[in-house]
Amino acid sequence: MVGYVARRLIMAIPVLFGVTLITFLLMHFTAGSYVPGLQLDPNLKPSDIARIRSNLGLDRPVLVQYLDWLGIGAILQQVGLGGLLGGGHNIDTGILEGNFGRSLIDGTPVLTAVLERLPNTIELTATAIVLGAAVSIPVGVVSALRRGGRLDQGLTAISVAGFAVPQFWLGLMLILLFSVTFHAWHLPWLPSSGATSPIGGGGLLDRLEHLVMPAVVLAFFYLSNWSRFVRSSMVETLSQDFVRTARSKGMTERRTVYVHALRNAIAPLVTLVGLELPGLVSGALIIEVVFGWPGIGLLAFQRALQFDFTTVMGITTFAAVLVVAGNLLADMLYAVVDPRVRYA
Amino acid sequence: MSNQDVTADEGYRRFEEFLDEWSRRDFLRGMGAATAFTVFAAGGMELLAACGGGGGGGGQSSSGTPKKGGHVTEGWAFDIKTFNSMLSQDVYSNLCIGLCLDSLLTTKANGDLTSALASEVPKPSSDGLTYTFKLNKNMKWSDGTPLTSDDVLFTYNLIFAPEYQVVASPRRGDFTQHVATIKAPDPETFVVTTKEPFAPFLAQHAQYGILPKHVLGSLQPAAINTADFNSAPSVGSGPFKFVRWDKGAQVVFDRNPNYYRGSVLLDRFVYKVVPSTIAVGNQLKTGEIDVGQIDPSQVSSLQTETGFGITSFVVPNFQFVMMQLNPDKPAAQILGDKAVRQALVYALNREGMVKTANFGQGEVAKSVEPPTSWAANPNTKPAYSYDPSKANQMLDQAGWQKGSDGIRAKGGRKMQFTVQFAVGSPVLQSVAAIMQENWKAVGVGLTTKTIQFAQLVTLITDTRDFDMILVGFNFTQDPDQAQLFSSAGTRPGGFNGFDFKNDQVDKLLSQAATTVDQNKRKQLYSQYQDIMADQVPAPILYFLKNNYGVSKRVQGYGLGTFDQYGTRPWMKDVWVTDGK
Repeated sequence: MVGYVARRLIMAIPVLFGVTLITFLLMHFTAGSYVPGLQLDPNLKPSDIARIRSNLGLDRPVLVQYLDWLGIGAILQQVGLGGLLGGGHNIDTGILEGNFGRSLIDGTPVLTAVLERLPNTIELTATAIVLGAAVSIPVGVVSALRRGGRLDQGLTAISVAGFAVPQFWLGLMLILLFSVTFHAWHLPWLPSSGATSPIGGGGLLDRLEHLVMPAVVLAFFYLSNWSRFVRSSMVETLSQDFVRTARSKGMTERRTVYVHALRNAIAPLVTLVGLELPGLVSGALIIEVVFGWPGIGLLAFQRALQFDFTTVMGITTFAAVLVVAGNLLADMLYAVVDPRVRYA
Repeated sequence: MSNQDVTADEGYRRFEEFLDEWSRRDFLRGMGAATAFTVFAAGGMELLAACGGGGGGGGQSSSGTPKKGGHVTEGWAFDIKTFNSMLSQDVYSNLCIGLCLDSLLTTKANGDLTSALASEVPKPSSDGLTYTFKLNKNMKWSDGTPLTSDDVLFTYNLIFAPEYQVVASPRRGDFTQHVATIKAPDPETFVVTTKEPFAPFLAQHAQYGILPKHVLGSLQPAAINTADFNSAPSVGSGPFKFVRWDKGAQVVFDRNPNYYRGSVLLDRFVYKVVPSTIAVGNQLKTGEIDVGQIDPSQVSSLQTETGFGITSFVVPNFQFVMMQLNPDKPAAQILGDKAVRQALVYALNREGMVKTANFGQGEVAKSVEPPTSWAANPNTKPAYSYDPSKANQMLDQAGWQKGSDGIRAKGGRKMQFTVQFAVGSPVLQSVAAIMQENWKAVGVGLTTKTIQFAQLVTLITDTRDFDMILVGFNFTQDPDQAQLFSSAGTRPGGFNGFDFKNDQVDKLLSQAATTVDQNKRKQLYSQYQDIMADQVPAPILYFLKNNYGVSKRVQGYGLGTFDQYGTRPWMKDVWVTDGK
């Protein structure tokens, strides 16, 4: 097991370099000669643009900028080869030294910005994942047991709707209904955006009110996905020999289904949920945008539109590490849930 | 501080507009009602009642006497970027800076300068070179430290003194180009001497929030860019003092008890970040926000709301078409002919663009100067009405004959262009579609191409390899337009990427900028506008309107064209009827 984990970790290194390099190059090439944060201000002089570009170090070759971002420069300097990356510029520590850099837009450290948003994102995604898993398992099981029945068909229809309906649309409709329309009808209504009320907010009830709609929309998406999965997995399991054996030896149907079949059926779900773990931290971009939820997804979205390279790179790296770790964790959990699986 | 609306944030706004497109469809509204019905039928009410929010939304219109207390929440679809007035470039940051850091001067709604930290608007010396600002007496920062000309000098040194070169301020280029010296001879006097008379000086450079020297003065120049103050200004001089900024969510301010202009009525002001410009309308309805700028698409549907009223005014923001005039570029072979450019403008139904693409929230441009400017000449000749037959006639005369495909040609060259604009804006998309249709009607082919905002900037300031660009831009309160239309702007990095060079325009613009007498300036700009109307190098299609919803519980909210961002001179007198 340890050897297996070590191998997986070593394999992750080129993946992470690849992801960061590609993101870096994509951002730089789409940005052209635009300096992040600068606007088409009629009073802006070409000399200002040139000066700020140079201050930000954006006038250096792209590859040099990438190596600088990585922190190779600081390592080279340690061994006396600092000049290799083009002199004149301050050589900063980089991601390899744990420095995510500063935002090109507001000058604050990227890591601080990410950590500030992290609790909000986890609040939203963890609620949604728990909610999604908690509902999808019974829904999937019931569907499988009533396969072909009207209940199954109804639940299937809802699941398909969950796939087919865009999340942003569902979100907007909920806002229109539970915030705007309910308010107009003088009914108790839900706040339409944010994670807390700006004034006097932050209490448990206040947070819950803000959380309900985004968490439900996100959970609905997970639910549709996972309940389908549990259903088919359960159908398959129920037709296996050990279930027939259990039944034939006189075990109650309840025990057969809920103890023997279910445990086998939901093992693969662990992988699926595990794959969502990076999302737990990287955020649910669309939901966060629609509901103005101040999480990491919203940060990434806004900063990508502003060409804030360092922030986007920081979040990408963060997310990439989590995807790799989430996959690994899911595989390991799988071995725990399903004793037949062994890694060597 | 100027009103920039063209930003990288624009992309975000476009995404909202896209969302809006969806939510606006009628069948979706029907679906909304259907969903509501289903929820009712399913008895989901109790569940919602259990977790429902509070009441909110006053809405009764009452005047009465102003009273102290309460708060106002203003909603914007964009978060701010910085509190450092020398680094800031966007209107959202400028708005929040204006609440807690006053400037030497500020502007009234009509664009006239008025006093702020300086006790009066200084008159330039007789040679037009020297401006002497007299500060109000006994001013204090919110922490009690005296606010003196030392703070002013420090603030301006950030964009003037060579040692602060590294400060990432977009203001240094213009400031150092025009200013010879800055001095603080005594604690209440600040003196600026320009190199030559520079009429736009006060409007352009006297409205930056003054920064506290006792907080920032000890920092290394490079550290100014990343100072804690930039995201949490510990002291202020405006009507409010900073409390906290929850990034991506809200910025909260409390009354500044040391405000030098007397007592402020509101206890608290909240700048709330909402998900989109469409959400502004929703949250005005629910009372989650009291004030917000309404999306043009929603203005007519929100007119009937009872909880808030709508304030509208024209702004110097506009959309225009840059036409390639650089003789080295192929399109200039056609567009270089003035008659062709004029014909193309006559062929455009700009009224229709305002009406359909902008939901009526704008005014067709009568001149290059915005109707909001004191220098505007609304009677420039020719006045371009929508006149396709005149356009046809002019193109015929210019020797462009319609071919069998309906497209005009001359000497084997077809009159066919590509217009490029930033991706994702339904407004620009439909304006481009109208252009296409209008020009096709007079035998001119147009293809449209969308590109990323950053690439658009590169295209305008750097590569300049285009036929036409459709883009939004804005003017400031001063009528000087040299950055856009003088030949100096054709240098790499300048905004005159369409290569318009006209000696007379250059002469008039520089003469006007160095003429301090406003009446004489006005005459010069009048001549300038006539030439621009005749030349139409980059026809302005229309100027936009801003619409704000203001809750009826909020009184004295004096929003206008030039006092909506930056130091709002009326902010201290705002009050709320319910005292909440």
